[in-house]
Amino acid sequence: MNHPLVVEALVKDYRVKGQAAFRAVADISFSVAEGECFGLLGPNGAGKSTSMQCITGFYPPTSGRVTILGHDVHADPRQARNALGVCHQEDTLDTDFTVFDQLVRHASFFGIGEKEAGRKATELLERFDLTAKAGVLVEALSGGMRRRLQVARALIADPKLLVLDEPTTGLDPEARRTLWSIITGFRQTGGAVLLSTHYMDEAERLCDRIAIIHRGRILDCAPPPELICRHIGVSEIDEEIRPGVRWKRPPNLEDVYLKLTGLSLADDESEEAGEEAGDAS
Amino acid sequence: MSGARAIATVWRRYFAVYEKNFWFGIVTTFVEPLLYLVSFGVGVGGLVGALTTEGISLTYRQFVFAGIVGQTMLFQGFFEAAYGGFVRMYYQKVFQAIAVTPVTMSEVLWGELLWDASKATFASTAVVLIGVLAGDFRPFGALIALPFVFAGSLLFAAMGLLTAARSATIDEISYPQFLLIFPMFLFCGVFFPLDQMPTILQGVAWLLPLTPAISVLRSLTLGFPLKPLAVIAVLLWTAILVKTARRAMRDRLVK
Repeated sequence: MNHPLVVEALVKDYRVKGQAAFRAVADISFSVAEGECFGLLGPNGAGKSTSMQCITGFYPPTSGRVTILGHDVHADPRQARNALGVCHQEDTLDTDFTVFDQLVRHASFFGIGEKEAGRKATELLERFDLTAKAGVLVEALSGGMRRRLQVARALIADPKLLVLDEPTTGLDPEARRTLWSIITGFRQTGGAVLLSTHYMDEAERLCDRIAIIHRGRILDCAPPPELICRHIGVSEIDEEIRPGVRWKRPPNLEDVYLKLTGLSLADDESEEAGEEAGDAS
Repeated sequence: MSGARAIATVWRRYFAVYEKNFWFGIVTTFVEPLLYLVSFGVGVGGLVGALTTEGISLTYRQFVFAGIVGQTMLFQGFFEAAYGGFVRMYYQKVFQAIAVTPVTMSEVLWGELLWDASKATFASTAVVLIGVLAGDFRPFGALIALPFVFAGSLLFAAMGLLTAARSATIDEISYPQFLLIFPMFLFCGVFFPLDQMPTILQGVAWLLPLTPAISVLRSLTLGFPLKPLAVIAVLLWTAILVKTARRAMRDRLVK
């Protein structure tokens, strides 16, 4: 039985002009089982997006191997990506098409004929509450609808693995909740999910296991309660949130992150600078 | 799904957009060459009447119609790939969205180039057809010219995609547009025989790909002696530019 996703010793260097290569991903390994939701948690610049780009077969890795249901995504992208659905961090919807047509068009890249694609698109739009928008151009949709459509598009070819790169960034609380329930629905049908996020609550709520990623390395990987138990230990944190005001709360993943890296999730300046250098090359 | 079929699905995406905006497609593809044909073929043609070049006498309309076939390849191929390609790569992120499906980046870029070349071929073929119907072109030669029209269209589409890949912003496309495309349009033999110009400028013109392309077109459609070197030059330019453009676009997107 092949896992929906196996990442083995993945390394990715970016060439930087006139400098030594920048190592964005430094030897990460993990696998995602059927029906599991696996989260990569870290601040901007930690190496999440680069890992995602290698996992979807878009960037070639410097070394290491990524297999989807046993097919190497770089050696055999056609087979491997047949079972893969991707929702990019940025909006990649095709603005030349209506909501309905772009699902049909996307299905064609999986070799699905128009008739069957039309049936699937109708069903997905129904499920994602977008039926009323089927005939309009993408430009007419709200941000939350666009993201929903992007996930719907990722599901058009019945993937076994869904890769979501920061799917709820910039969404309002209601749109986030809708998306969370969509992800849960997909998992109930046996689908595996790989999710990257820098939202604690999202990671804690959705993910069966979380890998904390920092400067391209996985510092620890376990179910969220286990991570908290292992690194924080206590059941309550007592801190001074404003002068003279103390607050007792249960420990969360942010505390774990802080403990592991000595940094808060909001700022990791050195890494962001590094990734920018990588992008500029 | 084979590689060829994957490329075809990408091409089909472009054609679906074209089909959907049918009148937009018709207007943007066919109106411009028609305007040139009427303005230069009928207008200037009426004024100039006949001319003799390379020892062959013909009407100016015949001469300029063949030039406009080349100009149509140049403009339609370059602009669709440069501006359209930049928008698809940078704003719409179409390449990025398709290249994580079973279709690979290599196939996406083939689809893009073949579409750009197809659109330029549609327009140029219309000009060839009008040349034949007007009695200005040799029908058999015109038929043989069509595969060559596609090769030339691919050449200028590749030039456009290379431009898109190397432009940091959409405005930067103006540099090759004004410094390379417009000079080719005006000085590579579309409107007048090259021998009207000083020898040194003729030499420069022959270094640009539109000159050999138009030379071959005039040989096929009007019976000018065929210069084998011109055919080789066009095919070589096409091969080099296609390779360079694909690599440049891939390097821009895939780190």
